Amino acid sequence: MSQERYLEPHQARTRMPTLFEDLLGDSIERAFGEGVTTLPELVAYLNRVGPSGERGEAWTEEGFQALMKRLGD
Amino acid sequence: MNSRTIPISVDPVQTVLDNGLKDLWYPVCPSGFVKDQPVSMKRMGRKLALWRDGAGQVHALEDHCPHRGAPLSQGVILGDRIACPYHGVEVRCDGMVTKVPGSPGCKLEGQHAAKAFHVKEAFGAIFIYNSDDYAKEPKPLVLPEELTSDAYSNFLCYAEWRSDYRYALDNVMDPMHGTFLHKQSHSMSEGDSKASFQVRETDNGFVFEKVGQRGINFDWTEWADTGCHWMRLEIPYPKTGGPGGNFAIVGCVTPINAELCAVFFWRCRKVSDWMRSTWRFLYRNRLEARHWAVLEQDRIMMEQMEPDANSRENLYQHDIGLVRLRRHLKHLAEEQVEASGS
Ligand code: FES
Ligand SMILES: [Fe+2]
Repeated sequence: MSQERYLEPHQARTRMPTLFEDLLGDSIERAFGEGVTTLPELVAYLNRVGPSGERGEAWTEEGFQALMKRLGD
Repeated sequence: MNSRTIPISVDPVQTVLDNGLKDLWYPVCPSGFVKDQPVSMKRMGRKLALWRDGAGQVHALEDHCPHRGAPLSQGVILGDRIACPYHGVEVRCDGMVTKVPGSPGCKLEGQHAAKAFHVKEAFGAIFIYNSDDYAKEPKPLVLPEELTSDAYSNFLCYAEWRSDYRYALDNVMDPMHGTFLHKQSHSMSEGDSKASFQVRETDNGFVFEKVGQRGINFDWTEWADTGCHWMRLEIPYPKTGGPGGNFAIVGCVTPINAELCAVFFWRCRKVSDWMRSTWRFLYRNRLEARHWAVLEQDRIMMEQMEPDANSRENLYQHDIGLVRLRRHLKHLAEEQVEASGS
């Protein structure tokens, strides 16, 4: 007899990711994969390769950090 | 023997091992499982009723009313007490019957007639102290620095596997499976597929490690007893995981019944500042799914093991970690049976 059991692949997120978040994640992973290790390098990479910020703005260190805090913590 | 014969374990040492050793903290579920209604769950071979009082504190009693055994979890929360749905008997979180509404003043009132458990909530999980004696002071709950130190960040992954909990323990104590079972995974494709292992003693347990290989694959695993049995291991991250330390896993396995166990894997990383929130963003957005896919390989393997597979084995050098743990747990169970005088 099989009973109900808990098997939930997504336990950390509270909603589906947005397309913007997926594109940003792709780009961050690519940057790290290419050897980026510092915040200024990462911000420069995003400004060069995209995507741009949520409202189309350029990335700054402060803006990136604030967004990661909101999405990560 | 026909196929309907149900094996009954009469060996008290085996019974202790089957249900989980006593006088230890066990995580039983993620914090979010207990909200504003009482919940019933089977753990350590027992049915438990868990609820939160008005201040958010979690309490646990055996899910068995001391009057006639109705499930307390169907009852009504009255702060640190719960009222049985069947005849209204009120039981406090320490097991004492505080009120018998159908027969006020009867001798059941004031008795510690229900089985109670100490409860702690930490690191996103609810922990229960598995003891037969509520009056006995529980051991402190100590967990490794990957969970307790601010230098680390973690996410809990909880799952229920259709397997005896000891297969899940064996699996963590067997680092070599990383090279084979998880060959295609995002983080364990490197490393030698042949290795010798050694056991190194620690203050609270032991480390089982590959001789001469560290930081390449799943190269070592640790088992410890600090009021809670936990395991720890590290797996290197691919470069795409970004700057920060290795990826560490702290694991606990809690028996539910002979066919089911609860696994707790805290995925931890030593990261600070922007690297911390970026890792956490990536984890939520995509890494969790990749880790889950790896864990599914373990689960499917565990669930396909015959229940008696571990009684017909031919072990070799890679297996000394799990042999060591099995022996140690058996020894602890023997001590507990001896101490209880049965
Ligand atoms: S069985 Fe609980 S009050 Fe009677
Ligand atoms: Fe595994």
